[in-house]
Amino acid sequence: MNDLIDKLGECVEFGKINQASPYPPTMKGMPGADELTKEALEAGFSPQMILNEALIPAMNRVGNKFTEGKIFVPQMLLSAKAMNSAMKHLKPYFQNGEIRRKGVFIIGTVQGDLHDIGKNLTGMMVEGAGWEVIDLGTDVSAEKYIQALDEHPGAVCGMSALLTTTMSNMQPMIAAIREKHPGTKVIVGGAPLNAEFARQIGADAYGRDPQDDINWLDSIVA
Amino acid sequence: MTSRERVLAAIAHKEPDRVPVDMGATPSSGISAIAYSNLVKYLGRDDLPVQIYDVVQQLAQPDMSIIDRFGIDVLDIGRTFNTQPSDWHETVLANGDKAFYPVWFNPVLQPNGSYHCYDTDGKRLLAMMPKGATFFDQSYFPYVDGYPENYNGLDEEMGRVLWSRYVHSPWDHAADPGFWEQLRKNTLHLRETTDKALMIVCGCNLFEWGTFLRRMDNFLMDLLCEPDQVARVLDQLLERHLATLEKVCEAVGDIVDIIRFGDDLGMTTGPFMDPDTYKMLFKPRHKQLCDYVKSHSQMHTFIHSCGSISSLMPDLIDAGIEIFNPVQTNAVNMEPEFLKKEFGQDCTFWGGGVETVGTLNNGTPEQVREQVLQRLEIMSAGGGFIFNTVHNILPDVPPANIVAMFEAVKEFNGK
Ligand code: B12
Repeated sequence: MNDLIDKLGECVEFGKINQASPYPPTMKGMPGADELTKEALEAGFSPQMILNEALIPAMNRVGNKFTEGKIFVPQMLLSAKAMNSAMKHLKPYFQNGEIRRKGVFIIGTVQGDLHDIGKNLTGMMVEGAGWEVIDLGTDVSAEKYIQALDEHPGAVCGMSALLTTTMSNMQPMIAAIREKHPGTKVIVGGAPLNAEFARQIGADAYGRDPQDDINWLDSIVA
Repeated sequence: MTSRERVLAAIAHKEPDRVPVDMGATPSSGISAIAYSNLVKYLGRDDLPVQIYDVVQQLAQPDMSIIDRFGIDVLDIGRTFNTQPSDWHETVLANGDKAFYPVWFNPVLQPNGSYHCYDTDGKRLLAMMPKGATFFDQSYFPYVDGYPENYNGLDEEMGRVLWSRYVHSPWDHAADPGFWEQLRKNTLHLRETTDKALMIVCGCNLFEWGTFLRRMDNFLMDLLCEPDQVARVLDQLLERHLATLEKVCEAVGDIVDIIRFGDDLGMTTGPFMDPDTYKMLFKPRHKQLCDYVKSHSQMHTFIHSCGSISSLMPDLIDAGIEIFNPVQTNAVNMEPEFLKKEFGQDCTFWGGGVETVGTLNNGTPEQVREQVLQRLEIMSAGGGFIFNTVHNILPDVPPANIVAMFEAVKEFNGK
């Protein structure tokens, strides 16, 4: 593939945000995802190609390395940040429709729960996989999901819960959402959950980690 | 054996006459106000007030009669403060039950049912608890936009973080004139009137304070991008922690048995950071805290860290940590057999006695019994184990299961 696209992918994979950012030390002083995306656009690469050939595969590698325990949360956050600095340049093309995303993913931490690190990571990674992500924050009620679905009909919902006392809010929330928006697809995640629980509460899937979520999302739009 | 001898024997890896037990001696081995309220009702003791001594986490201070009823072997010396009814005022729990807050805690009820806590200016939001939640969340992060030029304002900023502003006893009295003398007096009195082991909860958090100041996401990235700034702020924190330890050791270091530090280093799948990062930034500083305690007191060092931390445990032990809590056995690489085999000789486990995710909250009393007996069998051999749940007992735990848990401990101890 092209050198510039490869380099951009590497910046995202290893969390090199821009020229000024000191991490990773081996890339010190070199251009980062920010500069290289700009350069790639100026060199005439299509925004869609930048997304599909550089950013998404890089984030995919990051997600897999995290699943395999080869990298930790700090590295993942930096990759997501590098991706954001690339996305900033692509934004106009999302708005004018030149780049198509895979769909809309609405994510939040359920009512009563304030843990948001896993939810944020999942949102960032899904965005990096080519989805538009609407993050509703923490302590999110069914009503808020319904409002977001009113604005984005057909969007897929993701719910996070880290507490045994709040995972029980998921079932009534899913029911309330589907009453207003029948057929809405829901994936749930968070440390205390498992696939069996997800099945019992009527969710369509359980995501152990962001990559798991992305693989499932890709499977339903394929 | 007295309770105290039992706890100390376990820590010394001598098998005590029976397995020592905790509930409520630390804010990570305790019981939430709602679960406690349900428990006292179930026991026919709804005359006992539900006193929320840790308002951030909404934890109740168990009454002495409950402690004795369940054969609990250790006490938090913080309970010697706020002992008068006039130290408390009434509030209502999310389940509608009556409870009490310390008089200094006055969150403001919002029209949407959430509670807010504001700074003294009445404007800056410091903490909030959404409707239906059972925990106050941090709303103000002093250095969220970046590290300051100097740390002249650090004490003041730390005082705006909910964990410090709304801290549990005895620290809610730390600014009282004569506090340290009072602490010593109270602790001596407790030592004379009980044979239980004594605990002082003294955070000294390093990683967590970084996340409180910078916010979790920023601080995690800082570990890689700005290790120098991280080291700088950690040194500032360490200086303050050591100053506190100096006073603690002087006041109660010859009376108290265990000092509890806190620092959540783990999540379910592994530690938050690479073990090398821990080794570089945190281990030397944890070591300084432990060294100080060991050379200036008789206290044993205890750390609370959630999650999967087995890959960090060799370094934590090397730094001088003797006791681990809450032993989150449902996390990856934290299976009880594995922990006991791998680290059982070198440290004491304070927790992991029963799962709070699954068994204690959703199981039947018989399932609770089975798991407790099984865990005791694995963990108690040769000492090095204090029975306690994996982290606090949350509102979803039925009282019958709490009773079944203590009954099972008794059954095991009686055999
Ligand atoms: C950090 C932390 C906190 C922080 C949260 C800060 C924040 N801004 O999020 C603070 C200190 C505020 C906190 C508070 C509490 N906590 Co807490 N906390 C943790 C801790 C240590 C780590 C969680 C974390 O951030 N992990 C890192 C992320 C990356 O992992 P993750 O969230 O699991 O997410 C991953 C996957 O699950 C998945 N995922 C997550 N969400 C989603 C969503 C979708 C759609 C998908 C597909 C995937 C997915 O992807 C992520 C990446 O792989 C855990 C321990 C643990 N083992 O998890 C306890 C833990 C979750 N907390 C616990 C408790 C008890 C509490 C409190 C109730 C304390 C108390 N009062 O006693 C309060 C409750 C607050 C509230 N109302 O929400 C218990 C819960 C036990 C239980 N019975 O449920 C745990 C398990 C600790 C323990 N040892 O038992 N906590």
